[in-house]
Amino acid sequence: MSLYVASTLTNVALISFLALSAYLVLVVGEVSFGQQAFFAIGAYVTATVTAIFGGHIILALFLSTIAGGLAALLLAALVIRLSGLYFAIASLCFAELLRLTLLRIRIPLEIDGRSTGMDGPEGFSNIRWIFENDFEVTDFLILTVVCLLALLLLLFYFERTTVMLRARLVGRDSLLAQSLGVRPDHYRMAFIGLSGMVAGFGGALFALFNTHIEPQMFGVMLGVHALAYTVIGGLGAPLGPLIGVGIDIGLLESIRALSEYRMIAFGGLVAVLLIIFPQGLLSPRAVNRLWGRIRRRDV
Amino acid sequence: MLKLTNLAKYFGGVRAVDGLDMQINKGEIFGLIGPNGSGKSTTVNLICGVFPQTAGTIELDNVDLGRLAPHQRIEFGVSRTFQNIRLFGDLTVWQNLWVAWRDAPGHETSWLVNWFGSPADRRHEIQKLLEFSGLGDRADRPASSLSFGEQRRLELARAMASKPKLILLDEPAAGMNSEEVADLRNRILTMKNLGMTVLLVEHVMDLVMSVTDRITVLNFGKPIAEGTPLEIQNNEMVQEAYFGSAKNVEAGN
Ligand SMILES: Nc1ncnc2c1ncn2[C@@H]1O[C@H](COP(=O)(O)OP(=O)(O)OP(=O)(O)O)[C@@H](O)[C@H]1O
Ligand SMILES: [Mg+2]
Repeated sequence: MSLYVASTLTNVALISFLALSAYLVLVVGEVSFGQQAFFAIGAYVTATVTAIFGGHIILALFLSTIAGGLAALLLAALVIRLSGLYFAIASLCFAELLRLTLLRIRIPLEIDGRSTGMDGPEGFSNIRWIFENDFEVTDFLILTVVCLLALLLLLFYFERTTVMLRARLVGRDSLLAQSLGVRPDHYRMAFIGLSGMVAGFGGALFALFNTHIEPQMFGVMLGVHALAYTVIGGLGAPLGPLIGVGIDIGLLESIRALSEYRMIAFGGLVAVLLIIFPQGLLSPRAVNRLWGRIRRRDV
Repeated sequence: MLKLTNLAKYFGGVRAVDGLDMQINKGEIFGLIGPNGSGKSTTVNLICGVFPQTAGTIELDNVDLGRLAPHQRIEFGVSRTFQNIRLFGDLTVWQNLWVAWRDAPGHETSWLVNWFGSPADRRHEIQKLLEFSGLGDRADRPASSLSFGEQRRLELARAMASKPKLILLDEPAAGMNSEEVADLRNRILTMKNLGMTVLLVEHVMDLVMSVTDRITVLNFGKPIAEGTPLEIQNNEMVQEAYFGSAKNVEAGN
């Protein structure tokens, strides 16, 4: 496998975490333009834990996941009373606020003769974990893909539980959910928290892979993409967002001639797909049609 | 059992419900009728907590329902259907009932089993509910693919899945043919026999008059009459409210 292919695939897998986190928020009926914030938090936490404190990768991943989840819960607690457009705007503001804050924090240290740690716009350099552990690009690809598959398996299982059914109910019709005794606030909080955990975990891997991170990487466009992946891929199953990622990075990246017009091509593609499949490719209805027989009696 | 005292709901200047006193006894089928826009659905929405009342109280077995959040009211045994069918169209008939399911008080399964498991006795009871609703062979169809009458039956079954003490039916017979209405009548009577108390909001007079024990008539949000079906049929004010204009036209001729 060429280096280029391996690193593209790794990027696909990494961005999939972000797409899945946007998916979890969409499931409960909220739109978030701010998932990149939790991705960034995960990235900075892991960078700090491994590069500055020399912590173990498991510890770093764990702390990143928790930090992403807590940040998301904080956002949710602050704005849970807002919904629809207001939540979308609040999440965007939250992410931008975080990015602007990261641009201001400059506490670089000298480690092994190289500047390490948060250094405003210059970013966080010298995240040496993959060098220290002799990880080749393909090794890291395997690590990322294994983590992603584990998450997917978890989500597929989760998909068949009553919790997920009720969460979807909250997303579709929260008045109806309430009349069935489901408390929308709780589900929204929980799923936004989960989405932060997923994004935080993905961000952690992202930092390790890139060895250098900077606030500009976590701009609005990243969040918009994450959201677009689920919107075109569909809300019916966790595979939806992954298909979205595949279409964007897999397809558009492969047509190198497009590179300059990448954003335009992506925007156009989203528009066309939404005209043909307003509910996304894997809409809940399509998924139920495909799986209806199999899902049968289990919930 | 259910006691509404001086209940009122204003939407801006619109007095949708305006000083409603009503008491429903346990085991009764209670009718709530009135012309279009007289506040019947608003009353149901108030009991379920879709919006807070402007004034008055709602009590269920001496519990002040009016202070509870909507999702809590179902724990006290209140369940409803909607005037405009509200189903989870993407989900199968089975799943629609599954999400609405509640264990009988005192027989709750642990939340872990509830959320992640699929207990056999619950499957059995949902199957029974499906058969009661004549949807036995529709279990795996998406709710949106059902016919109108089937969707209405599913709504009713879903309302029963939470094992309510009090069930509020908002025009369950709307759009049904006479055969379906007869079917519905039997189901409502069965619900009564199962020990549920029923509040029936309905325009189909044949159904209301033949199935209810007592009736309250609303007009412009105010109760204008209360009594047995026979008393209501012979009440002049009610005839006025319903047929007033028609009679005047007749008299004019
Ligand atoms: N959410 C709302 N906001 C504003 N006005 C409302 C709302 N709900 C109901 N109303 C108004 O309150 C009045 C009573 O409406 P309601 O739906 O309770 O009537 P109804 O008796 O159920 O009528 P119908 O037989 O047509 O169903 C109407 O004038 C209606 O326009
Ligand atoms: Mg109505």
